[in-house]
Amino acid sequence: MTGAAVRAGQPTGGGADRLAIVPAGLPSGRRWSDSAFYPYALVLPALVVLVLVSLVPFCYAVWLSVHSVEFGQVGDFNGWDNFAKVLANDRFWNSLRVAAIFMLIAVPLEFVLGLAGALVLNQRVWGRSLWLPLLFIPSMMAPIVVGLLWKIMLAGSWGLLSVNVIERFGWLDGTSVFASSDHALIALALVDVWQWTPFMMLAFFAGRQALPESPYRAAAVDGANGFQTFFHLTLPLMTPLLVVIGMLRFIDAFKIFDSIFILTAGGPGVSTESPSVLAYKMTFEQWRIGESAALAVMVWVAFFVLCSVFYHLARKRLNAF
Amino acid sequence: MPSEDTLPADSAAAPAAAGAAMHRPPAIAIGWTLLTIALTAFLLLPVLWLAAMAFKPDDVMFARPTQWTFLPTLDHFDYVISSGFLGHLFTSVVLGLVSTILVVLIGTPAAYAFARFELRGREDLFLFILGTRMAPPICLVIPLYLIFIRIDLLDTFLGLTLAYMTFNLSFYIWVLRSFCRDLPVQLEEAAMVEGWSRFQVFVRVVLPLLRPGIVSTATLCFIFSWNEFLFAFMLGGQAVKTLPVAIPLLITAQGVRWGEMAVVGMVALLPVLLAVFFLQKHIVRGLTMGAVKG
Repeated sequence: MTGAAVRAGQPTGGGADRLAIVPAGLPSGRRWSDSAFYPYALVLPALVVLVLVSLVPFCYAVWLSVHSVEFGQVGDFNGWDNFAKVLANDRFWNSLRVAAIFMLIAVPLEFVLGLAGALVLNQRVWGRSLWLPLLFIPSMMAPIVVGLLWKIMLAGSWGLLSVNVIERFGWLDGTSVFASSDHALIALALVDVWQWTPFMMLAFFAGRQALPESPYRAAAVDGANGFQTFFHLTLPLMTPLLVVIGMLRFIDAFKIFDSIFILTAGGPGVSTESPSVLAYKMTFEQWRIGESAALAVMVWVAFFVLCSVFYHLARKRLNAF
Repeated sequence: MPSEDTLPADSAAAPAAAGAAMHRPPAIAIGWTLLTIALTAFLLLPVLWLAAMAFKPDDVMFARPTQWTFLPTLDHFDYVISSGFLGHLFTSVVLGLVSTILVVLIGTPAAYAFARFELRGREDLFLFILGTRMAPPICLVIPLYLIFIRIDLLDTFLGLTLAYMTFNLSFYIWVLRSFCRDLPVQLEEAAMVEGWSRFQVFVRVVLPLLRPGIVSTATLCFIFSWNEFLFAFMLGGQAVKTLPVAIPLLITAQGVRWGEMAVVGMVALLPVLLAVFFLQKHIVRGLTMGAVKG
């Protein structure tokens, strides 16, 4: 029941919505588009471009990662050396810890607040079409502008929040949160919460609106209260959507770069150095190309595994795409 | 766009639901509306503050305690314009338009083919496309930077346009495919029975029906390239500077030019403001990769 109801709006991937490769029994003639190659001709340009800009760089990164690279010159094949160096590097493990803390603070908060916000939007709110678009603004902003925004709000000694909230309550004195190695990462996660909670509200709200109304009427007839309706009806019906959005957010949060780059550049020390920031510094500041290629390949492979899990879960089990 | 299995339930439920809501006292509606307004205002306060910063004289900016009123000044705009900002703006616009147009030209037929035909290895190709979209940008930038040095594409418009294809083309194909699947296949079959070739059907039947999907997905692509930072920063170098790249450049050795950063930030925000009102629920569909139809 759960799956079937929420699949709402997606024709199941079967034969019904597909065109035959060769339209049997139709007046076909000898036109080129009736040949079996036609569908492949349609996808070919796109695939060529994607292979060039994505698969080729990946293979190049793999190739670099198993060679020693000195001053931009590719040297001898050195097997797993670069990988071993990365795995022996404390900063690598630190970056994973940073990413984990960041994701575990940001995503669950966005989730709970987003769900709560969606329930508010779902009430009888006047002029919804006026407020909803405004809530899209944070998630559609350039991450670099989001970073700038919070650099200004939280600037030490004069930022709006620094002066009027943080100093007033005596949490920190005179410095920016981003200069404190204990708080910078939490602050970055909260910036992410600010950016993505409104979007989660809107996504969950859209999902809630797509649910059929009849089970709710049945529940109302049976005298279910708000909590019961939410936990026994809304939550189960929305599970596929929650899983898909949650996974997309986790994947996105792991990649975080722009806002860290402008807010803390990984500092103080290495306290906010995410894997992306570490790879950036290794490459473009220290020029340890071989190692950074190895790091990139590991992150890439991890991502691909994550993506394929996500893909199979979302497409095959939850039928979301 | 609801499909067969929700349509009857929803359309039957809609009047009943509206009727139920009518019976609630308006005080509750006022309460929820005020709560929504308060929530929206609270969330957007930083954006308004940024807008104010763009017009704020320096002494007001750094005042303690916070000074709420001030005489607006255009000094920051003057500085930003004299430091080559219009060039960055032009680069951003052209790069966004060119990369989006290319994506639409290459991606539309592919999205249609993926939605309608049984291609060999379709599932693997999907995974490849999704993987390309999801890959962390830094993983792409490192090898692309080194490749672009070799083939003289570093710091060129063409190189950056190509690099933007990684996230935009994969995104476009993936999302437009879900729009294609919303179209009833019967229309195409009918046209084919009339004797149209499959290519004619694509151009004359599918493309016009698909136009809203193409426009909204392409607009999202434009916003993504408009917002993009890392690729532009590393692969565009000194020659091709977009607006997001211009922002960190205002953190100079002489100090941070806050007002100027606010100006560039607000200009970078303008197309986003237009897009949110224009796209509305298509944003949910886009950012969830088509999982929520909105």
